Amino acid sequence: MSQAALEPARPPGTTPEAAAVRGRRRRESLALYLLPGAALFVAVILIPMGMNVWYSLHQWYGIGPMKWVGLQNYVRLFHDSTFWTSFEHQVGLVLAMAVVPTVVGLVLAAGLFDYIGARFGGRTAGLLRACIYLPQVMPLAVMGVVWGWILNPRIGALNGLLGDVGLGSLRHDWLGDPRTALYTVMAVMVWVQIGFPLVIFMAGMQRIDPSLHEAAEVDGADWWQRFFRITVPIMRPETYVVLLMTTIGALKSFAAIYTLTQGGPGTSTNVPSYYSYANFFETTRVGYGAAIATVMTVITVVVTLVLLRLQSRQQEVRD
Amino acid sequence: MSVRAVRSGRRGPVPYVVLLGFVAVAVLMVGPFVLVAMNSVKSRTDFAAHGGMSVPSSVDLDSFRTFWNSVGFTHVLTNSVVVGASVAVLAVVVSLFNAYAIGIGRVKGRLWILGVFLLGNLLPQEALVYPLYDLAKRVGLYDNILAVIIVFTVIQGAFGTYLLSSVLSSFPTEILEAARLDGAGRWRILWRIVVPVSRPTIGVMLTLFFIWTWNEFFIPMVLLPSSANQTVSVSIATTQGQHMVDITMQAASSMLAVIPAVIFFLLFQRTLTRGVAVGAVK
Amino acid sequence: MYRPGKTSVLLAAAALTALGTTACGGSSGSSAQDHVLNLWHYEDADSAMGIAWKEAVKEFQQQNPGWTVKVSHTSFEQIQKTAPMLLNSPKAPDIMEYNKGNATAGLLSKEGLLTDLSPAARSYGWDAKLPAGIQATSRYSDGVMGSGNWYGVPDYAEYAMVYYNKDLFAKYHVAVPTTWDQFTAALATFKAAGVTPLADGGAEYPAQQYLWELALRKADPSWIKAYEETGKADFHDAAWTYAADTFADWVKRGYIARNSVSQKAQDMGDAFEAGSSPMMVSGDWWYGGFESEITAFSWGTFLIPGSTYAAGSGGNLWVVPKNSKHADMAEKFINLTLQPTIQNLLAAKGQVPVAADPSAVSDPRARELVQNYRTIVGRDGLAFYPDWPVPDFYATLTSATQNLMNGQSPQSVLSSLQSAYTSGFGH
Repeated sequence: MSQAALEPARPPGTTPEAAAVRGRRRRESLALYLLPGAALFVAVILIPMGMNVWYSLHQWYGIGPMKWVGLQNYVRLFHDSTFWTSFEHQVGLVLAMAVVPTVVGLVLAAGLFDYIGARFGGRTAGLLRACIYLPQVMPLAVMGVVWGWILNPRIGALNGLLGDVGLGSLRHDWLGDPRTALYTVMAVMVWVQIGFPLVIFMAGMQRIDPSLHEAAEVDGADWWQRFFRITVPIMRPETYVVLLMTTIGALKSFAAIYTLTQGGPGTSTNVPSYYSYANFFETTRVGYGAAIATVMTVITVVVTLVLLRLQSRQQEVRD
Repeated sequence: MSVRAVRSGRRGPVPYVVLLGFVAVAVLMVGPFVLVAMNSVKSRTDFAAHGGMSVPSSVDLDSFRTFWNSVGFTHVLTNSVVVGASVAVLAVVVSLFNAYAIGIGRVKGRLWILGVFLLGNLLPQEALVYPLYDLAKRVGLYDNILAVIIVFTVIQGAFGTYLLSSVLSSFPTEILEAARLDGAGRWRILWRIVVPVSRPTIGVMLTLFFIWTWNEFFIPMVLLPSSANQTVSVSIATTQGQHMVDITMQAASSMLAVIPAVIFFLLFQRTLTRGVAVGAVK
Repeated sequence: MYRPGKTSVLLAAAALTALGTTACGGSSGSSAQDHVLNLWHYEDADSAMGIAWKEAVKEFQQQNPGWTVKVSHTSFEQIQKTAPMLLNSPKAPDIMEYNKGNATAGLLSKEGLLTDLSPAARSYGWDAKLPAGIQATSRYSDGVMGSGNWYGVPDYAEYAMVYYNKDLFAKYHVAVPTTWDQFTAALATFKAAGVTPLADGGAEYPAQQYLWELALRKADPSWIKAYEETGKADFHDAAWTYAADTFADWVKRGYIARNSVSQKAQDMGDAFEAGSSPMMVSGDWWYGGFESEITAFSWGTFLIPGSTYAAGSGGNLWVVPKNSKHADMAEKFINLTLQPTIQNLLAAKGQVPVAADPSAVSDPRARELVQNYRTIVGRDGLAFYPDWPVPDFYATLTSATQNLMNGQSPQSVLSSLQSAYTSGFGH
């Protein structure tokens, strides 16, 4: 479906006034359609969110009586230096799970869509897309094990390969050396994450009017020029959606890291989101965990608002 | 495709080099799966002697059999399919209703409403777990897959609402007007006009919701404790012991977990190519 | 116009079926459940426990006509993370395998979610049958283990030992060491021959247990009590200083491979099974797997030489949830698992039973395993684990030993342990 084809042209005989009246009526009546979604949302998200904040004001072990402690959990959190220093690693994780996959995903999607697809057929492109999407369906626990094999310093494939091509001096304990552990984790996370942007972008590229590319090609623009001048601007909405969802994902996730490194060596791959999890389920300090989760939520909301703001400002500029 | 007539030339070696590059990327992505597959058919002695990187000396399906029987995989698989499919359908319906009101109805404060819905994606799942457990117990849905279906309908629906509202906000009004002049009601317009036009997006949503729900581990683990209600991704955890991992069985179990999701993805591949038109939030 | 495709119809049908089945599935007849004992555990079906308990279930059903035991196989992780929720609900099983310790069985006993098994322990004579060191993890007083009422009963025990590769010992002319000096000499011999003598994994429990075994060489009962129970550990005392210095020295000398920092427990086991290290110090839980999987060389075990203590304790517990519908039958089942038939079956399958008779074990290696256990219990040498006193101290110890392996100074590593221990104890 191409949006250009659907540009609204006012049907004959409708005045703006009449449309406004109708529009208002429609607005009131369609609000009813929000009811089922809103009711479910209140039950599954809003009430639990409120309960979580309530827990965060208590000392509680998940069972038994709750002891009111006011803001004590929050005060403690703001002095918890291990929590705050682990935010450095969070930057790496956002790069690896959001920024790099979005950028690389866009290039790969464009390459598959209007280079490979155009020259070797949609089936080839579809097959390649399926392959690249595959890591998205691998269970995380298994992901950790498999990459453990590949990166194993003793018998792993990576070091073996380096040895085979005469780069034996580069052999390394990739996940065990604090200087390389975070980068190695980041590389694996790019591998995990790239399928999602790819699928969204390739789908979105359906709406690019082929004549745009044809015209540019006639003007002598090469593939990269067309990519930057046509594809990137048109894919802006998808870019925001993908960036927003993957950033939220990166801020929330620790499971992938924990299956790879347990946060180590030392604390060199620890991330803040693990803190709430560990407090909820390793030490069952639910009150403290709830406080961390609340703070993480606030941080995520702020990041989301910034991104949404950027998105709507871009939209205004474009309109 | 008219594009191809103009740009389909495979002149010179460059296209093949690019293709080769993509194939290399694809191999890198698929490689680890080949490793899992290889180890899933190894015997434990073979694995013990040669480790994870070696080619299996013979094909041994014991791990599959043992895992299948020990967790009652037929049952577990059914649970996961029921949960995944129900969530995919229900979350699409919820997203559709929400987006109909937000994107087409343009209800007041829609940006705020959207923002609030997004909270469903923002909240760390561990923060939801204790409250959801408490609520599920109160309404008698603890250890009942219906609880998990409802929870993920809402969580996936939050993303769906965002995505679909963006798409529908650029929906051509003249089509709606025409339908209304024909005497179509709101319900009819939704199903006869909005749904067919949004079909590509709905296809993407069905696919992603199914696969995401399929891979959910944490909330199902907490809300569905009994083995009768286990889902596939939770059942894999049984191969991870307290002190050690049964690696060949873990590999086998993950093959069993991945295959249905991949089949589902391949089935819905075509809806993906038909595209999702993501507009902006206006 | 829109026509639903075949797949959409299938999906919708599945959704409706789900709603239908779950809506009706809520209340199945309760009269049939009257003589059903719901039992949950998380051991592999082909592990020693899996086999022995299957046998126990069979016997139980024979001895109690009309009763069926419904066994549910869950995962360690699921029970570990969700047991408090499960036991606080009407879905609690009648009897369940659960992890020992203050943060698990202790917490649940304190919150009244577990049945007090003390009367049963007296009437069935479990208190006489289980050695004192084993009872420590069964009894909790206000949630703290060591004494008080019985809230759980283990069928098996755990202790650390040295697994060794007999072929490599023969190849490098190393005899099984009986003193500490012989042990370190053996390490040096292997290293000199270019073999990393000890398999290890820094990312999980193995490395911290090496550290613990070293500290235990300088330990006495009051030291262990201070560490585990009263929160009075001093990480700069002679024992810990010796442990950290020695461990760092071993890494420096190459007795422990530096590149095992990122290795998990399973990687350590794999390295030993592949014959790349002649020795591995760890718990008896590897025993059964090695027995069935190592075919390329012969292997054996010996106790850590020159040390009174070894990491270890009673194994996971049978607990009876407060919401159990058949607590009396659950106790009966527990008692059955402590009888010689089941206990000896555990031993025969390579597990250390709490109350086995070594003479009833025919396999010489398994007999040795049980004998060594009795030696340790006889000198009250089970020293528990280093991560017990503080919640999530496991993670702290893991990262501390990784830092030690990566060259951080022993003194600063010990200081970091001290501060985490001091601030975490008693929370």
